[in-house]
Amino acid sequence: MVMPGCQSMTSTYEGEQHVIAAAQHILKVLGENKSLTDDFRRVLTELDSHLSAMTIITESKRRGFAEVEEQLKCAERKVRRWDSNPSLIWDSGPTEASEYIQAVNEIHTVMETLGGLSMNDHGRPKELAFRAQCVQQIAMSRLEEELYHILVQHKQSFELKNISFPSRVDFVYDESFVSVEDEIINDTSQRDNSGRESNEYTVDLIDPLLIPDIKSIASVMFASGYDREFCEAFIGNRKDALDEHLSNLEIQKLSIDDVLKLEWDALSCEIKKWVWAVKIIIRVYLASEKRFCNQILGDFGSHDSYCFVEISRASIFYLLNFGEAIAMGPYKPEKLFRFLDMYEVLADLHLDMEGLFSEVANAFVMSEFHDLLRRLGDSASATFLNFRNAIALDSSMHPFPRGEIHHLTRYVMNYIKTLTAYCDTLNVLLKDQDVDDPNPVFETDNGQDICTSAFSPMGCHLRSITSALESNLIRRSKLYKDGSLEHIFLMNNIHYMVQKVKGSELRLFFGDEWIRKHNGKLQQHATSYERATWSFVVSLLRDDGRTSLKERCRRFSNAFDDVYKIQTRWCIPDLHLREDLQISTSQKVIPAYRAFLGINSRNGSDKYIKYTSDDMEKMLLDLFAGSSMSLRNSRSNSHKW
Amino acid sequence: MPATENQPSFLGRISIRRNQIIAMDGNHEQELEDLELFQRHIEFKAALIMGRDPSQISKPPLDRLLSDYMERAVKALDICNAVTGGVDSIRECQKLAEIVVSALEQKPIGDGQVKRAKKALSALMSASAIDDKENNHPRYAERTWSFGRRGNNSGGNHKDRTNHGSFRSLSMVVAKNWSAAKQIQAMSSNLAVPRGGESTGLVQPVYIMSNVMVFVMWALVAAIPCQERSGLLTHFQIPKQFGWAHAIIGMQEKIGEEWKKKEKKGSAGLLEEVQRMEKLGQSLIEFADGFQFPAEDEKLEEAAAQVAELAEICQRMEEGLLPLQQQIREVFHRIVRSRREVLDLLDHGKVSQPII
Repeated sequence: MVMPGCQSMTSTYEGEQHVIAAAQHILKVLGENKSLTDDFRRVLTELDSHLSAMTIITESKRRGFAEVEEQLKCAERKVRRWDSNPSLIWDSGPTEASEYIQAVNEIHTVMETLGGLSMNDHGRPKELAFRAQCVQQIAMSRLEEELYHILVQHKQSFELKNISFPSRVDFVYDESFVSVEDEIINDTSQRDNSGRESNEYTVDLIDPLLIPDIKSIASVMFASGYDREFCEAFIGNRKDALDEHLSNLEIQKLSIDDVLKLEWDALSCEIKKWVWAVKIIIRVYLASEKRFCNQILGDFGSHDSYCFVEISRASIFYLLNFGEAIAMGPYKPEKLFRFLDMYEVLADLHLDMEGLFSEVANAFVMSEFHDLLRRLGDSASATFLNFRNAIALDSSMHPFPRGEIHHLTRYVMNYIKTLTAYCDTLNVLLKDQDVDDPNPVFETDNGQDICTSAFSPMGCHLRSITSALESNLIRRSKLYKDGSLEHIFLMNNIHYMVQKVKGSELRLFFGDEWIRKHNGKLQQHATSYERATWSFVVSLLRDDGRTSLKERCRRFSNAFDDVYKIQTRWCIPDLHLREDLQISTSQKVIPAYRAFLGINSRNGSDKYIKYTSDDMEKMLLDLFAGSSMSLRNSRSNSHKW
Repeated sequence: MPATENQPSFLGRISIRRNQIIAMDGNHEQELEDLELFQRHIEFKAALIMGRDPSQISKPPLDRLLSDYMERAVKALDICNAVTGGVDSIRECQKLAEIVVSALEQKPIGDGQVKRAKKALSALMSASAIDDKENNHPRYAERTWSFGRRGNNSGGNHKDRTNHGSFRSLSMVVAKNWSAAKQIQAMSSNLAVPRGGESTGLVQPVYIMSNVMVFVMWALVAAIPCQERSGLLTHFQIPKQFGWAHAIIGMQEKIGEEWKKKEKKGSAGLLEEVQRMEKLGQSLIEFADGFQFPAEDEKLEEAAAQVAELAEICQRMEEGLLPLQQQIREVFHRIVRSRREVLDLLDHGKVSQPII
């Protein structure tokens, strides 16, 4: 009678009744035997009362069973009513929805009750249990569908007004340098740090009013053992939503092959979109997704974190893979800023990632994240060091026209000026990189800030870069045949460097000593220029006792004319610098000329004198204007020195 | 379980159940040896170039061979990513199979649970039987349809949502028009056998490395569902005279044959577990279609055995798929590293080129 493994002592009530009736019949027959002992008779009596009690229990069960059957019928009606109805239950009002949930709960109760009975014969309870199971299956399918529609229909898009993202100027390290004009660069050190302070960025991805509904669906599906179905439907839907959000952020799926083949402009654009998307996805979207998973599934063990990881993993990996593709590419100078953008955004999101994927099971995701962060950092420092080498190695066969500020100088100075905006990151990345600092900063500088920045790895590296630049410029200056122009060229370029340093954050990294030193260099080149050009010219005026006055005047005038003709074509674009040099030249030349004129005025030299000292002073102001006063039509020769 | 079904698939051998082969009978010794040989070659690190004169590698023919090698490496990375997505889609199948198991494990089996299993099975079968090409279709189209169908009162089409979700992971990882078959084709097309004069020096090792890389990527694509595999090569030329070629040719022939069979059946991949899952799914669908209460004991027993086998496969997938994914990721990183090393060498080997 008792089946092993059965939850109940009895079989179905009909069966029980047969057995009980049979047993009672046997007892009756046995009781008719006169030869029984008293003990045996007592046992039979006890047995009989037991059986009677059992009959009563079975009877009451039967009554209960009828109720159960009624309960199931009622629930089934509610479930089946929706079978042919094309509208959504959850769209039809809260009463409809809660009635449906109640019906499903009732089916579950029926099944629990029936589960208390043995299922091993083919009686009515078993039949009912199977029927309940069928209705449950219909209801579960329906709930899965309803869940899906709720998730789709009540999805909320969000806008982020609070996070604005820095837009920086692009650098292109090419031969034309057209993209590095000063005016474009000027305001690039404006950095945006918003988003770093605040941590609470979660938004409602689904209308919060619907959360109790989704939760009630989760509850009944979990209670009915349909947790897998719920999770798969939930994951599938949320995964799609995330994918859609990525495409709203204009993240298009590119293979690594594609990424490596992109032109710089397109690539830079993709990187900017990526930086923005990574920040939104990790800080806002996934944080919100995790909260949503927890709101829905927090009461059901670890399902919330399982679902969250399944929803987010593929997208996270896609984003990381794009980073990998970028880090793989060649380390061209213009990429440094993008590397730094990418590095900074990931470093900034580190804690957010820890919060999202803290479980041990997700160590894999975190280690990929750390790897990429490290690789981007390596790429950035490699690019930075490459930049210095590129400057050191850069060369040309031709002297730069008119002794002007070389494009390389402009490029390098604007490049490093922009880098100051990334100084915290670069200090971390360059910490362990050896550098040969040609202008070490000593304790002479005043002010805490100046000291710290100047001593920082970034300070050393920046000075090393400008020193590479100076060596390069000196090499280039040797290309001029005219030694005087060599000095003009170096003055122009060093002056530009000093101005850039003085007028920007770079000052903190270079220190006042560097500026003093370079001003000193400017002075030296000015002196050298005067010596190279004017010492000879002025020396022609000197009476050596052998050359006639007429000859001396002629030689001087010719020499002066030559200088005038040549050096008015040279160019010092900075007016202040130009004037300084003109004045200092005047101070050397004019007093000597006046003295010459004074000494020789009595000798009737007037007829040999071509210029008055006032003429000459005015003519000196024409020098370095970049256009020849007397040779305007022969500018085509201007490249030949 | 029939003995033939116990044959480990190629990938199963290296990734999931490598240790189990050792416990099997001695017939596998040769394969195991091949495997060892093969795994030694998998090391992508460009050790072949280390310690050599860098200027050597920037001269013809090596410069061109190396740049071809780099191209191949990049394509291999995309294949790794596509295959990683493929593993995700197998995991989705696994989750569906788990639903089937939990429905059919109940005793006794009633109509409700059979229907539940059937729903999961049809999703499972449509997911795995799909032609790879269809992955190019955006899922949104289907989703929009699905979304609107009740609201628009378009009628009683009650097809299950999961029926459309075939291998959704695939579209998440790679570009829309990306094709695994074409990548393999491109990787192998310029793989020229070194001529007599080139057989010494570095040409040979670069050739071997390239062959190993193409082979491994090809095998991964054959084993694991990924975007657009139709027309996948079944054979590529490896000259027999090389000592190392034997192991690869042997495996290539076996995998190629399996792949041809697969193409005929339209199966999801050569991964043994997936193939068995498909087979079991098919029989269980038949069981579910023919199910009538009360079922015959014989049929019930048969189904119970299949469910038990399916449960075992799910268990193995649960234990094996994520580690497999991590191994593929490790291969990815190794390729990246070795590519970087070669690039650095090429940079050093070059006479410093002025940039301006």
